[in-house]
Amino acid sequence: MTDSAAASIAPATAASAPAQASAPQTPKIAVRGLDFYYHGFHALKGISLDIPTRQVTAIIGPSGCGKSTLLRVLNRIYAIYPKLEATGEVLLDGENILDPRYSLNRLRSKVGMVFQKPVPFPMSIYDNIAYGIRHHEKLGRAAMDARVERALRQAALWDEVKDKLKQNALGLSGGQQQRLCIARAIALKPEVLLLDEPTSALDPIATGRIEQLIEELKRDYTIVIVTHNMQQAARCSDHTAFMYLGELVEFDRTETIFTKPARQQTEDYITGRFG
Amino acid sequence: MAGNASLYRWRAIKNAMALGLGSLATLFGLFWLVWILGITFLRGIDALKPALFTQMTPPPGADGGLANALFGSVLMSLMALAIGAPIGICAGTWLAEYARRGKLGETIRFLNDILLSAPSIVLGLFVYTLIVAQTRQFSAIAGAIALALLVIPVVVRTTDEMLRLVPSTMREAALSLGVPQWKMVLQILLRASRAGIVTGVLLALARISGETAPLLFTALNNQYWSADVTKPMASVPVVIFQFAMSPFESWHALAWAGAFVVTLFVLALSLISRFLLARSKVTHD
Ligand SMILES: Nc1ncnc2c1ncn2[C@@H]1O[C@H](COP(=O)(O)OP(=O)(O)OP(=O)(O)O)[C@@H](O)[C@H]1O
Ligand SMILES: [Mg+2]
Repeated sequence: MTDSAAASIAPATAASAPAQASAPQTPKIAVRGLDFYYHGFHALKGISLDIPTRQVTAIIGPSGCGKSTLLRVLNRIYAIYPKLEATGEVLLDGENILDPRYSLNRLRSKVGMVFQKPVPFPMSIYDNIAYGIRHHEKLGRAAMDARVERALRQAALWDEVKDKLKQNALGLSGGQQQRLCIARAIALKPEVLLLDEPTSALDPIATGRIEQLIEELKRDYTIVIVTHNMQQAARCSDHTAFMYLGELVEFDRTETIFTKPARQQTEDYITGRFG
Repeated sequence: MAGNASLYRWRAIKNAMALGLGSLATLFGLFWLVWILGITFLRGIDALKPALFTQMTPPPGADGGLANALFGSVLMSLMALAIGAPIGICAGTWLAEYARRGKLGETIRFLNDILLSAPSIVLGLFVYTLIVAQTRQFSAIAGAIALALLVIPVVVRTTDEMLRLVPSTMREAALSLGVPQWKMVLQILLRASRAGIVTGVLLALARISGETAPLLFTALNNQYWSADVTKPMASVPVVIFQFAMSPFESWHALAWAGAFVVTLFVLALSLISRFLLARSKVTHD
């Protein structure tokens, strides 16, 4: 990214950021002194940050700085691999999700995740959405139909697929598959939605739709998005965290990060001087 | 520019050489296949008529078919699949999903590879001592068990490999919905690799349909029609073996006809499994 690109972001952000009072509210997720190790490799170093309720928090930083790792701690998906270790606290509504007594089933029904590459399940579009719901709730046919439709509408996919719900989801385009994955995640009515570079494989039009979607979803959900795209972070987030080499360098309102960051490192990164 | 042109010519030559050698190798392989099919067809043509499928194996000099042997082969192969495929799929799934890393998994994978390349006659002898010698009775069920021992390692191996091909993001996506691992494995992963696993089962079927040695020691042979799995049963490979070794012309023709049918069957199985795999690849991305 060039200086001029970064400069062009700033006014847009300032203009679009709502002038909301930053009243101190209890955070949805509070990360406290989080350390993370891959087979002994220290990937996250003493991270502490508050993710505010029903807002969009963006995580930015150069490749390999630990953005995905942080996201993967928030729903403990890392725990499916052996020898990975997280210490510290991650409080979801005040409860520590790193505590082994915190049920994974409960955690994952509250915290949904969408991955960089869309991964539809090898089944119909309808079943892709219904699959997760069936696991958590027993719904009648009509109620299930309504839930599936609602999720697909929320993900702005309904109009494109309403006539082919029984078709295999693998037949959808990449952008449609990604929206399907978002629909699948929000169908469970999670409270938090984690998005790991959700648009990196998409064209500008599909990206635009997903950004629009994020804007709408934040009325109901707390969203954490990892992105490499600085404009995207500026456009759709309320808060931004800048990470570097496993450390949280700066965390502030997006507007502040992009206009007057407190740290030189942050400024260098967003203006494209490194990373 | 001149350098580029000569570089290009050199590349074109290399390309032509590789293409030529590849085509030659393909022709070489196809040549034998066509020859085998041709010879078995020509030599067996006298016996290749409807009676092959309707009449029993004849005494020397008389007319007949291979009905009892074909039935025995089909029945024992199906029983072998019924025993071996579920065990193989379960074991392969366990290896890929629950024991991917770790000593136990590695050891079992290694042992399975040994079993995969074990001479089938060894498995025949094993079942002979274990079952036939104990019950003092050659039987179709013993034959099916010997064949199942050939099926299992093939199915274990393909299931294991096919499941490993499923990207880990698929697992993460399912688990991040809160679905427990066993459900994810059964409902998502096995479905995603269904075509590959079916292919493995078909390849196992192809492998056992020509096996003679394990059946010689277990199901033996039977000149008559028999559907009793506790009694000796005829099978095409054993009949081919017996008839081909005999001095009788009519038996020779039947043996060739049997060989032709088996070769064609195996060829068809390979083609079907290729087709299945190719189709699943297309729909995967
Ligand atoms: N499975 C793993 N085993 C060992 N080290 C890993 C593993 N996954 C990630 N790492 C290391 O942890 C660090 C952080 O990785 P992470 O994937 O969180 O980076 P990232 O910020 O998401 O990068 P990118 O922007 O490229 O996605 C990197 O140094 C990476 O090499
Ligand atoms: Mg990442």
